[in-house]
Amino acid sequence: MNHFPEAWGRPRDDIYGSYNASYLPQSRGGLQSHHQPTTHTQQPIVTGTSVLALKFSTGVVIAADNLASYGSLARFTDVHRLKPFNKRAVVGFGGDVSDMQYLDRLLNSLDVEENYTSPTGDAKSDDDRALVDAPLMSAKNLHTYLAKVMYKRRTDFNPLWNALLVCGLDEKDQPFLASADLLGTTFSAPSMATGFGAHLAQPLLRRVAPDEAATQELSKEKAVEAIKECMKVLFYRDARSMNEYSVAVIDQSGVELKEDEKLENQSWAFADRIKGYGTQTV
Amino acid sequence: MTSIGTGYDLSNSVFSPDGRNFQVEYAVKAVENGGTAIGIRCKDGVVLALEKLVTSKLLKKDANKRIATVDRNTGVVHSGLLPDGRHFISRARDEASSWRSTYKAPIPGSSLANRMGAYVQAYTLYNSVRPFGITAIIGGYDAETELSVDGAVGNGPKVGAGGKTQWVKEGGPFLYMVEPSGLYWGYYGAATGKGRQAAKAELEKLKLDPTDGECISLEEGVKEAARIIYVAHEDSKDKEFELEMTWVSAVSGPTKGKHEEVPKALREEAERLAKKALEGEDEDEEEKMEE
Amino acid sequence: MASLFQQSMPSTGPGYSFASAPTHHSSSGPRQHAFYPYTDNGGSTLGISGATFTILAGDTRSTSGYNINSRYAPKLFRIGGDGPENEGARIVLSVVGFAADGNALKERLDTMVKMYRYQHGKEISVHACAQRLSHILYGKRFFPYYVTAILGGLDDEGKGALYSYDPVGSYEREQCRAAGAASSLIMPFLDNQVNLKNQYDPASGEGLEKVMRVPEPLPQETVEQLVRDAFTSAVERHIEVGDGLQMMIITKEGVQETFTPLKKD
Repeated sequence: MNHFPEAWGRPRDDIYGSYNASYLPQSRGGLQSHHQPTTHTQQPIVTGTSVLALKFSTGVVIAADNLASYGSLARFTDVHRLKPFNKRAVVGFGGDVSDMQYLDRLLNSLDVEENYTSPTGDAKSDDDRALVDAPLMSAKNLHTYLAKVMYKRRTDFNPLWNALLVCGLDEKDQPFLASADLLGTTFSAPSMATGFGAHLAQPLLRRVAPDEAATQELSKEKAVEAIKECMKVLFYRDARSMNEYSVAVIDQSGVELKEDEKLENQSWAFADRIKGYGTQTV
Repeated sequence: MTSIGTGYDLSNSVFSPDGRNFQVEYAVKAVENGGTAIGIRCKDGVVLALEKLVTSKLLKKDANKRIATVDRNTGVVHSGLLPDGRHFISRARDEASSWRSTYKAPIPGSSLANRMGAYVQAYTLYNSVRPFGITAIIGGYDAETELSVDGAVGNGPKVGAGGKTQWVKEGGPFLYMVEPSGLYWGYYGAATGKGRQAAKAELEKLKLDPTDGECISLEEGVKEAARIIYVAHEDSKDKEFELEMTWVSAVSGPTKGKHEEVPKALREEAERLAKKALEGEDEDEEEKMEE
Repeated sequence: MASLFQQSMPSTGPGYSFASAPTHHSSSGPRQHAFYPYTDNGGSTLGISGATFTILAGDTRSTSGYNINSRYAPKLFRIGGDGPENEGARIVLSVVGFAADGNALKERLDTMVKMYRYQHGKEISVHACAQRLSHILYGKRFFPYYVTAILGGLDDEGKGALYSYDPVGSYEREQCRAAGAASSLIMPFLDNQVNLKNQYDPASGEGLEKVMRVPEPLPQETVEQLVRDAFTSAVERHIEVGDGLQMMIITKEGVQETFTPLKKD
């Protein structure tokens, strides 16, 4: 035994040779050079396309199709991208699906925590509502929360690759619609569309609701019809879309969510008049 | 109190020669002074009820709730030292939420009871801590139906390999009681606190064992729970109290699988019936006296 | 937003057989982040101070690329004050550039101004607030808030006070400042109309005899009209400016807000 206690109990170099440190990183005397900076999301992988929403006199209607694409591959065809939060708020997700799942889990735990303090979540009468100390989170509250999550993650250079529409009713039970995206940018408008919808659907929706005043005059039926028409246009033109979609209407009576709607009255008559792509000459 | 002066009661983690942990037994004493808390496991749900003794007239009515929601489908009522109860609840919430993030599903009642039993028991082992001065009743409903999994995408195959076996049925109502020693059992009816003896006597009269073929419904359970709290209060009639009640049913039931406060109208009706039942008893007794 | 979906697929994704899949990442230095944390949301802001007032103005359009996000996204914010609407505030902040940073900046300054009141029992002065804002911006010197800020209020003597900033906190008190997309269109107009640059007394002589006109604080009505003219002109020439003009006029009576429609094209 020598007087280097750190060597006691170790295999002797003169018999077994010195310790083979090659598997260790360079900082520990090894040869491994897998030292790369921590990397974060740099591109979305499985993606959902547009989300559309439109305010009307007493509420909001929102829609998104049920497709999750892997690049140009239509990978999952039963993905529901509208997530109801409570009876007056729904979130629509465009962009990366795994980040959507993360946010959905986040919202679920937020909802559980919100209900610790208000056990009567579905207060049936005013009496019951009065028992609840904490009022129900509004769509506006939810949007502020999500916008801060998105902005924090972009500031950490670890973005959640989504474009969100948050819609429902605000704390005064008025229609509310706003968006947040991977950069933390937020804005609000009478009609909103993410992704391809910003180009194809938004102009059509603005024709129905050019300003806030117009939404006050808009009926629920007209709004739903306009949204469905836009979903059809998107299916005609957006190669990453499909003909099955989810649509939700949020108003005073709560959330009415339908998750397997089909596009109706499609007309592809316009298609044979389209010429000039690729090798087509006649 | 033969233990006093022997020195074996001064610390956790020290047994007395006859194999008792006196600190735990003292903790049980703390519970015995608390307002009565009960839980009833019914056919289609669970009711939790609490005799909340009014400690000051300056406290707002119907405020300062004591029955806590721990997860969407689970509630906890306790009797004993209130701050210890708060800590217990906080831990139960952490357990429930960590289970959710690990398994993407709500924690089953049995697992939550197990975790909380282990947690409470740990406070009987070390001389640096004291045991919990509460007995807690954990009640809830494990969903039998398919719950949407947090953040799930798609539904999976409907039949065949990976599909669901239709006749398999799991879940249902659950009720556990955790004592200061960490001991816990599953119960059909559980009672703790000052009026537990009277409450237990009443609970035993109810039809609660589903294997016997008959079992009271959730609505009946609510009314029985209110009555039992009123019965248990008879011995400390001089003190005022408020009745706090929560319930939880299956997804198909009145609470849609959530642990919620019993609606005010139903609670008041249950209280009216409870008072009437008590008056009826008095009259019976009087009649007997007359005979 | 379209850029979200224009990325190419990862080359190591499924679809390769194991034999032909790339087995090793070439370790030629660290990989570059493809994520760029900024965007430009367009729009323009403008501030002019007078003898007893300050006017801040901004258009309400929010853009990303050639898309209009919203026709009403305010760039003017009341700082301090009470309640969710900041009632009773005497300081106004305008931000233009990357809207998410602008929002975060507004939130931070607002919190600090409120904290100042809670801690010191009095309202913060504009010059103190201005200095604070500079520190907030410089605090993120190496990951800046990508915004041009203008802060307006009344100074201790009741005169209009206007401070303009660059994204990393360099600031200056000025008579007037235009910022944002159309700043290069508006600023020269302001130089001429407010600071009377290149304006000479017509009664003076020719050549070296010419006498410059001396700028004086303008009356409120004149300034309001200048602001409206500046924006209606900017809307004609800049695609990112339009929809609506929001103005906040700070006087000793408080903050008065006006809205004037602009062309929506």
